[in-house]
Amino acid sequence: MARMKFICDAERCIECNGCVTACKNEHDVPWGVNRRRVVTLNDGIVGAERSISVACMHCSDAPCKAVCPVNCFYTTDDGVVLHDKDLCIGCGYCFYACPFGAPQFPQAGAFGLRGKMDKCTFCAGGPEKDNTKGEIEKYGRNRLAEGKLPACAEMCSTKALLAGDGDVLSDIYRERVMRRGRGGDLWGHATAYGVKAATSQQPAPTQQKS
Amino acid sequence: MKRLFAQFAVALSAALFSFAVLAQQSTGPTLPPGELAKQQQQRTIDQPYNNQPVWSNARGATSGYTSIPGPETGVLIQDGGQTWRALKNGTVSVWGGWAIVAMMLLVGGFYAWKGTIQLKESPTGRMIERFTLMERMAHWSTAISFSILAISGLILAFGKNLLIPMFGFTVFSWLATIAKTLHNFIGPLFIVSCVITFVVFLRDNWPKAVDFKWIFSFGGLISGKHVPSERFNAGEKVWFWGGLMVLGIIVGASGLVLNFPNFGQTRATMQLANLIHLGGSILFMVGALGHIYMGTLGMAGAFQAMKTGKVDEAWAKEHHEIWYDDIKAGKIPAVRTKQIGAAQPVGGDD
Repeated sequence: MARMKFICDAERCIECNGCVTACKNEHDVPWGVNRRRVVTLNDGIVGAERSISVACMHCSDAPCKAVCPVNCFYTTDDGVVLHDKDLCIGCGYCFYACPFGAPQFPQAGAFGLRGKMDKCTFCAGGPEKDNTKGEIEKYGRNRLAEGKLPACAEMCSTKALLAGDGDVLSDIYRERVMRRGRGGDLWGHATAYGVKAATSQQPAPTQQKS
Repeated sequence: MKRLFAQFAVALSAALFSFAVLAQQSTGPTLPPGELAKQQQQRTIDQPYNNQPVWSNARGATSGYTSIPGPETGVLIQDGGQTWRALKNGTVSVWGGWAIVAMMLLVGGFYAWKGTIQLKESPTGRMIERFTLMERMAHWSTAISFSILAISGLILAFGKNLLIPMFGFTVFSWLATIAKTLHNFIGPLFIVSCVITFVVFLRDNWPKAVDFKWIFSFGGLISGKHVPSERFNAGEKVWFWGGLMVLGIIVGASGLVLNFPNFGQTRATMQLANLIHLGGSILFMVGALGHIYMGTLGMAGAFQAMKTGKVDEAWAKEHHEIWYDDIKAGKIPAVRTKQIGAAQPVGGDD
């Protein structure tokens, strides 16, 4: 069984917010709810600026699931973390626990009263029958059931954001790293593979686009 | 009870302290963000595609740029949530849950041992007004709102483990929705009731030297020896200051932080507020179990006093001797409610 994952290649992300727009359009999410966002670190600092698109990362040991007081979360066979909006009480605990700020709450009343939580579904809908009216209204389209991958990654113009089976994604990413001619000096590589990370004396490869 | 209280307080403060320490350790990089950005600039030249300094900066409260509006949307990864999860699902829930169970057993055991404490002398039939209508209304609005908050809070905190196996997901979700709504709307009412109750009972709860004697003999509750006290004994005063005031402020303030998330408070603030709210409310419930026990099963005449406002002279003499003596000496009127239409006070000196 495939284990669904997102990966965002910070060397390719150009902060166009196409993924954000694709997501909003595909699922018709309400105003104020953003299932995906692009964060730019070191904004404006030449040589240090990196952008990355982030949404629900569909954790194996999901903190949202662990703290939910009504147990409305479940993990599908594909490793996608989904939730049941009929059970959700809008307490906000998942939002406290999530490292990525994925859970979103539409305001349901005065003083910031939370409505039912909404988050990235990996375009896999919810517990309802696939692509029924109820499912689309609550969770947006179920592209996975149609054999398609998440809209954000499909729409990514630089193919920085990839979504799909983790094994396939890691093959693609590994190939990119090899084509870039770098990788031995990636952070943590020496720790992981016992290779000395002293390749910085070599000239940086030019004209090697991946 | 006091020892358990103390032990639990130590455990709770240890938990909160460790949270503070862990939160300190886990936030952010060891270098300031500006320094890491400079490092990355150099790294891009030395080792292209090596983004280690950027990702060192990705954790914690360092905010990047994002076009998405809202609080903390620029934060890529917040790792306080993991600490909060561990403490909430672990230490606080486990200790807190068992503290409540232990207190119930303690109260039950005490009842089995002592039973209801009866009056030693026979009632005189002459009644003294212990609580005015205003005082009783203040007390009961606090008591009723507290009970609703305690029960709904327990459903939300422990229902996942205790009630879902019994009722299933759908029924429990309805129950939790009702509990959450009640908790959010009764909460502010409880704070108002606490303030009114505080004002109404403040004068007679002022600590006096005689209270220490009561504390050291624990009110004669165990020895059965008589310890004189004022209108409120030291136990009631401890509950007034430690429960109503201190825990009221702790639980009330942390509750407001959680109840009104529309002031842009960060997740770290709400995580801390939630842990303080949990710890404080568990202490509150443990204290309330003792208070409710003494006010109902534990002591004959106590519930009647808060229900009707009146106590028998024999009860007053036995449980609040100094107060009784003051009434007998005419320092305090036996009936403080102004009698409408009565020519002269009823039930005064006789």
